[in-house]
Amino acid sequence: MVKVIKGVLLQCDPTVKQVILNLDERDHFIIEDLDETHVFVEASCVEKVKKSLEDLLEENTYKFESQPPNNKD
Amino acid sequence: MSSSKDTIPSYMRTDSYLQTTLFNPSVPAAKAKDGISFIFGAEDFSHISLKPDHESRPLWISPVTGHITLEAFSPIAEQAQDFLIAISEPVSRPSHIHEYKLTPYSLYAAVSVGLETEDIIEVLNRLSKIQIPEQIVNLIRQCTFSYGKVKLVLKHNRYFVESSHPETLQKLLQDDIIAAARIINDESQDKYFLMKNKAPTAKDLVIPGKKIEDSLKSSDSMDIDTVDKNALPSSLSDASAENKNDEVKKRCNELDYPMLEEYDFRNDTTLASLDIDLRPITVIRPYQEKCLSKMFGNGRARSGIIVLPCGAGKTLVGITAACTIKKSCLVLCTSAVSVMQWKQQFLQWSNIRENQIAVFTSDQKEKFMGQSGIVISTYSMVANTRNRSYEATKMMDFIKGREWGFILLDEVHVVPAAMFRRVVTTIAAHTKLGLTATLVREDDKISDLNFLIGPKLYEANWMDLASKGHIANVQCAEVWCPMTPEFYREYLREASRKQLLLYVMNPRKFQVCQYLIRYHEERGDKIIVFSDNVYALEQYAIKMGVPFIHGKTASQERMRILQNFQHNPAVNTIFLSKVGDTSIDLPEATCLIQISSHYGSRRQEAQRLGRILRAKRRNDEGFNAFFYSLVSTDTQEMYYSTKRQQFLIDQGYAFKVITNLEGIDQADLAYKTKEEQLELLNSVLIANENAAEIDNDVEANVDDLPGTTTSRNFSRLPPFGNRVKRNVGSMRSLSGADHMAYKEYVRQAGSKKIKDKKDKKDKPEHHAFFKKHYYAKK
Repeated sequence: MVKVIKGVLLQCDPTVKQVILNLDERDHFIIEDLDETHVFVEASCVEKVKKSLEDLLEENTYKFESQPPNNKD
Repeated sequence: MSSSKDTIPSYMRTDSYLQTTLFNPSVPAAKAKDGISFIFGAEDFSHISLKPDHESRPLWISPVTGHITLEAFSPIAEQAQDFLIAISEPVSRPSHIHEYKLTPYSLYAAVSVGLETEDIIEVLNRLSKIQIPEQIVNLIRQCTFSYGKVKLVLKHNRYFVESSHPETLQKLLQDDIIAAARIINDESQDKYFLMKNKAPTAKDLVIPGKKIEDSLKSSDSMDIDTVDKNALPSSLSDASAENKNDEVKKRCNELDYPMLEEYDFRNDTTLASLDIDLRPITVIRPYQEKCLSKMFGNGRARSGIIVLPCGAGKTLVGITAACTIKKSCLVLCTSAVSVMQWKQQFLQWSNIRENQIAVFTSDQKEKFMGQSGIVISTYSMVANTRNRSYEATKMMDFIKGREWGFILLDEVHVVPAAMFRRVVTTIAAHTKLGLTATLVREDDKISDLNFLIGPKLYEANWMDLASKGHIANVQCAEVWCPMTPEFYREYLREASRKQLLLYVMNPRKFQVCQYLIRYHEERGDKIIVFSDNVYALEQYAIKMGVPFIHGKTASQERMRILQNFQHNPAVNTIFLSKVGDTSIDLPEATCLIQISSHYGSRRQEAQRLGRILRAKRRNDEGFNAFFYSLVSTDTQEMYYSTKRQQFLIDQGYAFKVITNLEGIDQADLAYKTKEEQLELLNSVLIANENAAEIDNDVEANVDDLPGTTTSRNFSRLPPFGNRVKRNVGSMRSLSGADHMAYKEYVRQAGSKKIKDKKDKKDKPEHHAFFKKHYYAKK
């Protein structure tokens, strides 16, 4: 029997690819690891990957609002 | 004049005050909504109408938050700035638009330098593009109503309660406690008789160091738009018994009439005068004069805080103030190294004799000769409550047992509030002056300072000083270094402590650093590279063959490196760890590179910038100093780096982000090949986890405050880790606070040490002659 998996080609910069590989260790969605900047993943999990990637990178961003408002006084 | 400062009046205590008065806006309901109103939400002020001639007026006031926005390009902006600095806190001052904020503290400060409620409102109204919102007028009235109406003045060796409002004095006199403390000279005197005096003036007071032609116009030139401070018709006073002045002060606080303290030092005859003056060649700069004129505005000395950038001559302001008051003076600094610097500066700028300056630290306990003099010490020495040595106890008795005309508090922002309180309350001083570069703290203890020392008298504008050439122009840049995939993979896996090592040791960062050093050395710059992480510091420096100093570098070695850096044209770069922040008298440099930094400390960032602000070449045309911070992208470093920059951004510095350095691909740099990078990765991974520690570098000295440690003790440390080391510690930190951790070591029979010894025995030591020839051949 032929098994068909719909896939999506992701292009990303090398660091982001490392994040994706890291996520893959938990969920296993990568079909083929192509090269430094390309991976072929299952189409169903693209949205999920996008979201967790965003969350992860958000952690390293400094937001002005996160400061307590009156700390200069 | 001491202990009663502890009771903070209720309205000084919280910022919620402002909120309660301001956040029930009685905004007219009829808002003209338009298409974009929703973006601004509650801050849609489109219903407020502009004055017809608004274009010539430079500022807006937000009715909800008390923020003031100033057009810094307006022709009258400079005058408006002087006024705004007096009545509000600067929030952010880039080059074209400034932001200030009205707070109860800032209004308190305004009153204490002599501004009156109605004048504040009137001038603000004159400058504002809109009618001053009612809430703001109310705020100003409420905050200034009771502040500063009453002054406690020490003159002719008696305390006087002074006020320009007779009704206030009458009211106070009706209070039993205050009435009881009053001295009535004459039996027949009417109970409610008040003395009338002429208002104090600054007429005959000359701040030393001022240029003579300036002294006429400077007397109050900055107040053109504000008020003539000396215009009070007369002030009324009321003598009170000295021993009861604390009680009176406390009572006044309870009655919501907090007293301002002023010291009429020219009329004080009990306290012995100190013969001190600035040397004739010493000239103070206009902004330094401005600070001092705020302090001595009416010919008396006020307590308060002066904020000036690093390298702008804070020390000289302190010394000039001491020379103006001419009484015994106590200087407190944060570390033993700065004690010595202060002493040296006093000798350099003023004509004080060496035997009149005494130093009180853990290794030096001197007293000055004669009736009056200067003592320089550290906060911890004075605030220490643990057992002292016999000598130190005697010295403390000496300090506590006398009255001080003036106490100078250096770097006030770093001192823990509790320690501060102890210092301020144990020492009897008439005037207190706090000096600092950065009135920011990572905790929010800044409001305590306002109360313990006094209001902020002056805060300099960094950009202004830079444009006038008092401090160097600085180009700030944040250089983004992408992580290599291999490093990033490990970064994602490691625990947070190791992560730090990985992003600091990122080979691309190393290349950027090498490239920048090479580029700036060719331009003829002197470069300091800062790294808080000692492991990275050593790796970088050794790989590049550049001298480095960290906590464990012996002091002779340090001297040698620093001298080479200053005078040897072949040595243009040094690497420094955190010891460079406080404990070394750093040479000036023109370029600064940060490869790893202490989490998010804004103060540290500003202080490091100070190292290049004082560059002597700053007046050369087109001269720029450079400040780079190297950041590994997609790591926590991005977060910390942005946080650290906030303070400098508020001072008007713009950080350029450099994502790609031109020509870096062609340059011949280290770690070019994948193999080299992997090798580096391996060595980082096997590095001891402690290598990631940031604070293992500097050892606390008894004199130092936490966070400003020096490391002189390292020279005395035993060479091996297994010898006994004695440290002073508090119960708190020994039981686990301050990141103290214990480790258990089990020494086994076959431990490495013993093995090593065996090996040595088997291989007899070669004679030097053999060594030379045998090993050389190999």
